[in-house]
Amino acid sequence: MKTMKKSILALPLVAVFFMTSCTDDDPVTIINEEELITTVELELTNSTDATNVVLFKSVDIDGEGPDDPVITITGTVNTNSAYLGEVRFLNESIAPSEDITEEVIEESNEHEVFYITSVNELTITKTDVDNNGNPLGVVTSFQTGAVGTGTLTVVLRHEPTKPNDNTLSGAGGETDAEVTFTFEVE
Amino acid sequence: MFTKQLVAIAVFLSFCFSNAQECTLVLQGKVIDFHDSKPLELAQIYVVQLQKTYISNADGSYKISGLCPGTYDINVSHYDCETKKITFEIGQNRTLNISLEHHISELETVNVLADVHDNHASTQSSTRINAEKIQEYSGGSLGDALATVPGVSSLKTGNSVVKPVVHGLYGSRVAIVNDGLRQQDQEWGIEHAPNIDLNTASNIQIIKGASALRYGGDAIGGTILIEPARVISKDTLRGHAILQGQTNGRGGSATTTINKYRASGWYQQATLTYKKLGDFEAPDYVLSNTGSETAAVNLGVGFKTFEYGASAKYSFYNSDIGILRASHIGNAGDLVRSINSRQPLIINEFTYDIDAPKQQVAHHGLQFNVFKRFAGLGKLSMDYSFQFNNRKEFDIRRGANVGLASLDIDLQTQNISLYGIADAFENTTYEAGIDYMNQLNRPNAATGVRRLIPDYDANKIGAFASLTHEPSEKWVLDAGMRYDRYDINATKFYLQSRWEDLGYEVQFAAFEIGEQGNQILTNPAFQYDLFAFTAGAKYLWDRHYDLALNLSSANRAPNPSELFSDGLHHALATIELGRLDLKKEQSYKVNATFHGNEGDLDFEINPYINFVTDFMQLIPTGIETTIRGAFPVFQYEQINARLYGVDVHASYDFWTKRPAKEMKTNPDEIVDELTKLVSLESNISYIHGTDSSNGIPLIDMPPFQMETQLIWYNAFVKRLDFRLANQTVLQQNRFPNNNYDVSIPDDQGQLITSTVDISSTPAAYSLWNVGVSYAFAKANTKINLSTNNLFNTQYRNYLNRQRFYANEVGRDIQLQIIYNF
Repeated sequence: MKTMKKSILALPLVAVFFMTSCTDDDPVTIINEEELITTVELELTNSTDATNVVLFKSVDIDGEGPDDPVITITGTVNTNSAYLGEVRFLNESIAPSEDITEEVIEESNEHEVFYITSVNELTITKTDVDNNGNPLGVVTSFQTGAVGTGTLTVVLRHEPTKPNDNTLSGAGGETDAEVTFTFEVE
Repeated sequence: MFTKQLVAIAVFLSFCFSNAQECTLVLQGKVIDFHDSKPLELAQIYVVQLQKTYISNADGSYKISGLCPGTYDINVSHYDCETKKITFEIGQNRTLNISLEHHISELETVNVLADVHDNHASTQSSTRINAEKIQEYSGGSLGDALATVPGVSSLKTGNSVVKPVVHGLYGSRVAIVNDGLRQQDQEWGIEHAPNIDLNTASNIQIIKGASALRYGGDAIGGTILIEPARVISKDTLRGHAILQGQTNGRGGSATTTINKYRASGWYQQATLTYKKLGDFEAPDYVLSNTGSETAAVNLGVGFKTFEYGASAKYSFYNSDIGILRASHIGNAGDLVRSINSRQPLIINEFTYDIDAPKQQVAHHGLQFNVFKRFAGLGKLSMDYSFQFNNRKEFDIRRGANVGLASLDIDLQTQNISLYGIADAFENTTYEAGIDYMNQLNRPNAATGVRRLIPDYDANKIGAFASLTHEPSEKWVLDAGMRYDRYDINATKFYLQSRWEDLGYEVQFAAFEIGEQGNQILTNPAFQYDLFAFTAGAKYLWDRHYDLALNLSSANRAPNPSELFSDGLHHALATIELGRLDLKKEQSYKVNATFHGNEGDLDFEINPYINFVTDFMQLIPTGIETTIRGAFPVFQYEQINARLYGVDVHASYDFWTKRPAKEMKTNPDEIVDELTKLVSLESNISYIHGTDSSNGIPLIDMPPFQMETQLIWYNAFVKRLDFRLANQTVLQQNRFPNNNYDVSIPDDQGQLITSTVDISSTPAAYSLWNVGVSYAFAKANTKINLSTNNLFNTQYRNYLNRQRFYANEVGRDIQLQIIYNF
């Protein structure tokens, strides 16, 4: 019993030792969002005139931060023309920037890009497919008609239902990117 | 000795002769454990002059009628306690409460009985959950068991993450104390359930106010005390094993507790629990990815004598919890689709697999205790504890990050405390203590996702003192106060745009350390002085009525989430922002508890009101657009809140009476044994919460709820009990309107403005549960078969974070085998 009493007295001392010995001061390292998409770029190249290139770009460099995305559109879309469309998703918050489109193509079965437009006589066709032969939508063809103005919304869905009816409501999944551009056919 | 008896007989005879006509007096009262005021059932009260024995009821009450005016001697005995001899005088009907010597009962086991009006020697509003109830929930969670108490509800994320809500408050406002150790498991998160294995508890006490000052003064909602089995000093092995299976989730649990005690004072305790469930099922569909797996180990070794003792305990809790797949969404448009579809957008085949999104939590606790008792004074004890909590959350990710946790936080907490109680005095008990806490929060930097909660070091040092005074049998007075100093020192990267947008570059320029890319490194450090006090009075009438009034006031410092939250919340598609300039919040709560026991009716009414100034809560402040789409922004703000409500509990027992065969010590004694035939029990909770600064209702207030249970004992055969229970929850009609508008492209390419209804509350519902149980006489074995949600009712629960996505679980049939040894 004597030893018992002694060890009881020793316990608080051990405790105090523990309290003082558990500190660490590793520097806190920065974390850059790895899967962040800051930039959506849609490049349309006229299939008969390689100098007619239209670039739709939306950049939100602070990701979930308070700043709104900045949209820039360069070039003009001509009437009654065929365009080759290519979409790119980038993370430009880090240097060098990361091309997330590569991951989308690698995991093509789990992704799909949707294009929704209110412009009359504009037809958008997905020309690429995923590993199962379902549409992917990174590469497209745009066929324009008469003069008109409207919107074009580009949506990247993660884990959508595949195959689907090519509508946002039918595809399900979760939205990784959703950008709406003004689309003018001149 | 002989002369004493002669005198007693003479006194007795003289009164009998002189007052023969008036022998109609009644003596009644309660037999309680002096140590903790628990009622003692089956205490034998032997009246020497009458040569008659009376037995106390389940609530400790006894009644002796037909007494003549005069002086009587009674011997009160209980199998756990030292026999107590009392001489009393009676001239008119009177109440005599008898407390049995706690020094013995502490070392022995006390038959801890369920009594909702717990802790008769205290003015606080408290309720106890007994071992039987805890065993009933062996396959459930701590939160599920707590929700059986009036005034306690659950804030859920699905069915496996269950957080207790006490009188409308939860999270950091409710302290959970596990075996004397304040649980530190990142309780600030709404989707974080307590990392505690319910099966280690022998009983649970819920204190509905900030009056448990020993465990911290900041629990303005309440304190939940989880207590392990008592240590007994004889050579014995005690414990239980429970096997449980359920159809909903297609799994079950196994748990065993073994306690080995020695007369020498040495003891060992162990509890092992394992639980595995697959996907839950709503009435019409599988709730995909809602499976869970939990393992827990608790080990203890100690030495305890009356005078001194020491113990060491280790506990480990590990849980993997799947989060409903359909509740992980990308933007507000996805949320609109989910709300409109009225069923989850992802429904897969039943599986036991748990994929992302999911949580993985591990909690280790190590604690040492030593105590010494001082004759004629009290007890001094010292505790040291170390807790390590790791939480990982897995989201749906892309590329190389698939399978990598999005959140991975280590929280390490050490506590050292000194506590003294002076309980040797006749009418007054004094308590005092000091404690110190050191806490380190270390998020893993390799997640590839910005930290939700930053690195921080926190320290808290506090002291308290309280006393309980019983000037007479009719009064209990108590009071206490506490002071804590809390400091927190964080290191956090802010997005530069956020830092500027919040105005921090001016307000908190002193915290800036450096810049890296588009982020700014800061070192926010804050100190808070926290005061708490409690005071109360209780009056005990004759005939088992008592009224208690308790005032408690407490300060709470903002938690790390309230200070530092900064980012997108995937389950609700909201951006949540903390606030660095938050002050402490202060509550003033008054609890009134009126308890009555009239024959077979037992009831308690507990109205309360709680005023909280600078109440921290999330308030919508606008919409922000990102490349994913639009999100509402919620930021912590401080308002004044007023919460009031009432909890009502009532039970009525129907008894059958038959002459008892046991406990007769002489043939002239008449002892009746009462057995319960039917018991009817009802709980009602109502709460009304208002943001009085803005004159609008508070969010997430539990709706009106009523639970009624009917138990038919010994139906058809002995020890076969039937149970029928109903739970009715009304619609919460008081809620703030936090709806917002977003533009969502429709299938024709038009942008349609939709209102996202995140405010409306689900409809009222009523659920029926039935059960049958049979207890084998000899083997201490009990079998329970029960069905929850008997009619497979489809409903949604306002306090479930997943109410936007799916219905609650449907019918569930459970089979449970309990073996006690």
